[in-house]
Amino acid sequence: MLAINPRSIYIIAKKEFLDNVRNKWILLLTVLFIILIMAFSYVAGGQAGGDSFGNMQITVLSIMVISILIIPLISIILGFGTISGEAESGALYVVLSYPIRRIEVLLGKLIGLGAVISMPIFLGFGLGGIIIATSVGTDYFGGYIAFIFLSIFVGVIFLSLSICISAYCKKRITSIFGGILIFFWNWIYNIVTLVILFATGIGQGFPDWYYYSNVFNPISLYQTAVERAFGVTSIDTGEITTEFPQILSTPLVIISLIIWFILPLILAYFFFKRRDI
Amino acid sequence: MIKKRIMCPKCKNQQTIEGNSGEKKIINCPKCNSKGVFTFPGEKPIISKDTGSFAIEVNGLTKMYKDLKAVDNLSLNIRRGEIFGLLGPNGAGKTTTIKAILGLIHSNTGSVKINGYDIKKQDIEAKKSVGYLPERVSFYDNLTPLQTLNFFCELRGDDKSIAMPLIKEVGLNDAMTRKVGTFSKGMVQLLGVAQVMIGNPPVYILDEPMAGLDARWVKTIRDKIRKLNEQGATVIFSSHILSEVQNLCNRVAIINKGKLIAEDTVPNLNKLLNIKPRLEITILGLNGKIPEIIKNITGIESIDIQNNTLFITCEPSFRSKIIISIEKSGLIIDNLRTIEPSLEEAFIKLISTDEGGV
Repeated sequence: MLAINPRSIYIIAKKEFLDNVRNKWILLLTVLFIILIMAFSYVAGGQAGGDSFGNMQITVLSIMVISILIIPLISIILGFGTISGEAESGALYVVLSYPIRRIEVLLGKLIGLGAVISMPIFLGFGLGGIIIATSVGTDYFGGYIAFIFLSIFVGVIFLSLSICISAYCKKRITSIFGGILIFFWNWIYNIVTLVILFATGIGQGFPDWYYYSNVFNPISLYQTAVERAFGVTSIDTGEITTEFPQILSTPLVIISLIIWFILPLILAYFFFKRRDI
Repeated sequence: MIKKRIMCPKCKNQQTIEGNSGEKKIINCPKCNSKGVFTFPGEKPIISKDTGSFAIEVNGLTKMYKDLKAVDNLSLNIRRGEIFGLLGPNGAGKTTTIKAILGLIHSNTGSVKINGYDIKKQDIEAKKSVGYLPERVSFYDNLTPLQTLNFFCELRGDDKSIAMPLIKEVGLNDAMTRKVGTFSKGMVQLLGVAQVMIGNPPVYILDEPMAGLDARWVKTIRDKIRKLNEQGATVIFSSHILSEVQNLCNRVAIINKGKLIAEDTVPNLNKLLNIKPRLEITILGLNGKIPEIIKNITGIESIDIQNNTLFITCEPSFRSKIIISIEKSGLIIDNLRTIEPSLEEAFIKLISTDEGGV
């Protein structure tokens, strides 16, 4: 049976956190997130005709252009070698010879590395948000909090995916290719759906399947969830108004995101369990 | 309670300490103030439950990698309290066997018990009884040696206060503030040795513990193995270097191509193989010719010559008779050497027989 000792998970999580958080780039990332969100806010504010920060809503919608790149990237860097790399170097042999189960190692790694990714997002976007709020006020405060947690969640999803790849791949080098694949998944998804769309011919607007297919792309699910949190239903550029279709319901978006987190983790467990270290 | 008189390795100051057998005690030298750890000898290390009569039982273990049999129907019984050598050439299946014993790799068939616990069914209990030093040990680059050992103490459920004395015991105290990522291979290996001693397990499995280390480290590790054994622990170590095994082990298993080809004590293996001592006799002026007079001496089983040196194989009891006969015949022995049979010979003989050669 699946017996789990929470203490063992905690020990692994603590070690992962200590081993990774000491890297200076965690601090640099926090600073980067603060700078980025302020810069994007300022530019967005300028576009809206002001000479100060834009409001929370416009800030977040513009920062997402870059957060969908940086957050998955950090997660993949943290996760891709965590099993394959340690199996190759030999660190994992020692750990697994101790009275600990593989499921505990896996969950410990997820929690420890999850804490590492959460920290710069929480601090960076949090502090950045406070600075912006002092200037533009606390409108959309709830949405902004949701944005921070959704950003952490998308980070954890990509962590779960990269740990899964790491558990599957025999060598560190092959898991790098896996990491690259999930990093470019957003583009791959977009290209594939567009090709299908053109091949089948576009009538009036997009067909329903096109919206439903978003469940296969955690990045667009994340973007949609953030937009919903801010209550954004359309973008008004002044000349044309683009409506955001609501075909994909909010619960479906949330459930899909949760599946993107759970499924790779379950797969990772089976890969890791049957693996010869 | 045991009383023990010990000497400080630094200032040679002596003091008497008291403790229970098997207990580890941090010792502070009153004279030079250096610290160290002392383990009281005597009984076996404290283990939760003494189940089964063997430290390790391996039964019909087979591991396939696609079509290749890395371990082929291997059975071993390692007794409590012995130093057991796992000997074989590189690629013989030693590491695979060790990893299968520890459940790091999944065997196709066979069962393994450590300290009486089945590695598949009672994995946690089995792994509580064993300390393991892998062939290529590696730790976490960003942690200090103390953080590393603290982590393993926590995993083992041992008191963290043991970490510091262990670092000193293996002589890494100068590298205390450095990160393990900056360590040399030898230093990482020493940290591995410190790691293996956490929690005083009753069984130690060391995979090629001396490979690639310079003489000083080799001695340190050899001493450590002896010391652990004196404290009652069972030590299993693998090697492809025969002299290491010969010097340390009570019993040896020889593995080749995944198969067990011999398992016995060192003297018994020699007997089993009928390896006899050799005489090397140098007589000036022979120039590659074996004198007829020597050929006729009784007791010589085989004779060979290289320049002025004769190589004679015989039963040990004939040794002195042969030497006397040669001297009586008027030949002057310039140099004489007796070569005791070595495990190396046993090894080569066994492996070549196994491969159908010689």
